[in-house]
Amino acid sequence: MNATIELNGLEVQLGNRTILHGLTGVLKSRAIGLLGPNGAGKSTLINTLLGFHSASKGSARVLGLDSHTNGNALRSLVGYMPENEAFISKMSGVRFVRYMAEISGLPPDQAMERAHEAFVYVGLGEARYRPVGTYSLGMKQLAKLAQAIAHGPKLLILDEPTNGMDPPARKRLIELIREIREASDVSLLLSSHLLHDVEETCDEVLILRNGQIASICNLVEERRANRKFLELETIGAEATFTSTLESLGCECAVFSNGRIKVVMPDSMEIREVFKVAADRGVQIRRMNHRRDSLEDIFLNAMEQTGAADGRI
Amino acid sequence: MAVYKRRYNPYSGTLTPQWSRFFVLTRYAFAELFKSRFFVILLILSLVPILFFAGYIFVANNKTVQLLMQMRSAGLFSVENEYFIMVMIAQTQAAFLLNCWVGPVLIAGDLTNGALPLFLSRPFSRADYVLGKLAVLGLLLSAVTWIPGLLLFSLQAGLARNGWIWSHIWMVVPIIFCSAIWILMLSLISLAVSASVKLRIVATGVIFISFFVPAGLGEMYNSIMDTYWGRLLNFTEMFRLILTKGFRERTGLLGPLSRNEIPVPAAWGVLILVCLLSLVILNARLKAREVVRG
Repeated sequence: MNATIELNGLEVQLGNRTILHGLTGVLKSRAIGLLGPNGAGKSTLINTLLGFHSASKGSARVLGLDSHTNGNALRSLVGYMPENEAFISKMSGVRFVRYMAEISGLPPDQAMERAHEAFVYVGLGEARYRPVGTYSLGMKQLAKLAQAIAHGPKLLILDEPTNGMDPPARKRLIELIREIREASDVSLLLSSHLLHDVEETCDEVLILRNGQIASICNLVEERRANRKFLELETIGAEATFTSTLESLGCECAVFSNGRIKVVMPDSMEIREVFKVAADRGVQIRRMNHRRDSLEDIFLNAMEQTGAADGRI
Repeated sequence: MAVYKRRYNPYSGTLTPQWSRFFVLTRYAFAELFKSRFFVILLILSLVPILFFAGYIFVANNKTVQLLMQMRSAGLFSVENEYFIMVMIAQTQAAFLLNCWVGPVLIAGDLTNGALPLFLSRPFSRADYVLGKLAVLGLLLSAVTWIPGLLLFSLQAGLARNGWIWSHIWMVVPIIFCSAIWILMLSLISLAVSASVKLRIVATGVIFISFFVPAGLGEMYNSIMDTYWGRLLNFTEMFRLILTKGFRERTGLLGPLSRNEIPVPAAWGVLILVCLLSLVILNARLKAREVVRG
């Protein structure tokens, strides 16, 4: 599988300041989250991937294309939703999206059709003939998403897409992003301060801290691993119960008050635990999957890089 | 896909050639411009002098009308280089006014709303962007300068006899080239101002200032230093110098050329320098992202 993003010692300087310090890593998933505290270098990384900034050292490849030497070819595959306000206030929504699609190379009639589709798709069908300048903040975010998808990109770069949105609008936008991901082969790079947004939409996370990679975490593998880790509260014959589980390949740790932590082998299913408990006359009063939430992963990454005070 | 089918679909159709995409900006800018009634009136007024100039050619080539008007001297209506200098001066001034109205909004609108990253995150370079905006002013100002100039030349060539066209064909070159340098300079100055000043009224003022203040400073310099090189800062005068020399005019309309005349290459140099300076400003201002220094 080709890497979506490949960073090879990427260093970026703006003015006299080094913002990104030799980032190296390969991100292969289709949906990548970009996390980090303010000033970590998330937006600089996105701007570098888009070719807005040049690397002072190293290189970055997106979808196999070098962001500096193949910038034009790369940008033809990308749909970008910037963090800040970005629109043409006097134009109607649909005309604005059509304009952007035409600049991406769509013929005028196709651009018009795609603009209408994109507007209806993001849920702004009723407001498409209104000037973008009159839209609410949430509507402007959706209009920005519409212009990013209208030309059918292969990679969608979303910089803080849910900024300033109320909870229902945020939920709707996250649903849209998931729909886009699932309904097509579009790859996704999502930068957000909201861990929940990243957790809901992404398979892999790149965590930045002070311009350095704090962690690259594959959320899919993390979730799969967590499914095999159980925390039980039991009443009954703990010793025979745990020994039977161990004979089936589980690793068990027994604590006071009947609390047991179990790591199951990959081949084992949870119903076998219930079966053993029934056979041994053990009541299972509570069962939890361990869920290392993204927040835990993020905080661990911050602590490991000596930044326990890392604020999001 | 039908609009009502709410589903995301990738695009697999044809794409326009990349070299032609700058013209999308031009097309949309013209569509916006023609929504303004004031702009349409200004454009029509800019073309009104052409009707009078055309009428002049008609009278100059029509003996009957001249007799009716009781014109005794045949040389009173002559269509020679002085006539075309007059046409060019009138129309370049009209171009200046049009430019002051249209130029300031071309880039400022995009910068105010932060739209530049949207353009530059596509297969569309800063050069394409500037070219697209430059084409708006280029086409518009051409429509009031060299295109009517050539039409008047063609009208005279059609009405005059005795091989007038062949003895005056050289005039096509100054009509086109003098207009081109004026259009280029005006366009680049107003784009540079538009990229730096967001308010239209202020930007229009800055364009006026960029012509009149250097000219005033140049005159001050001339008075203090007892020289004539300060006139290099008077861009309008430098253009007229190029125009006069281009039309091989030595005396008459603009007064006799004195010994203290600025050399024509120096005049060209100043106008080209102004264009380059404007490009430097555009290069500095048109960034997809602000760069934080520190």
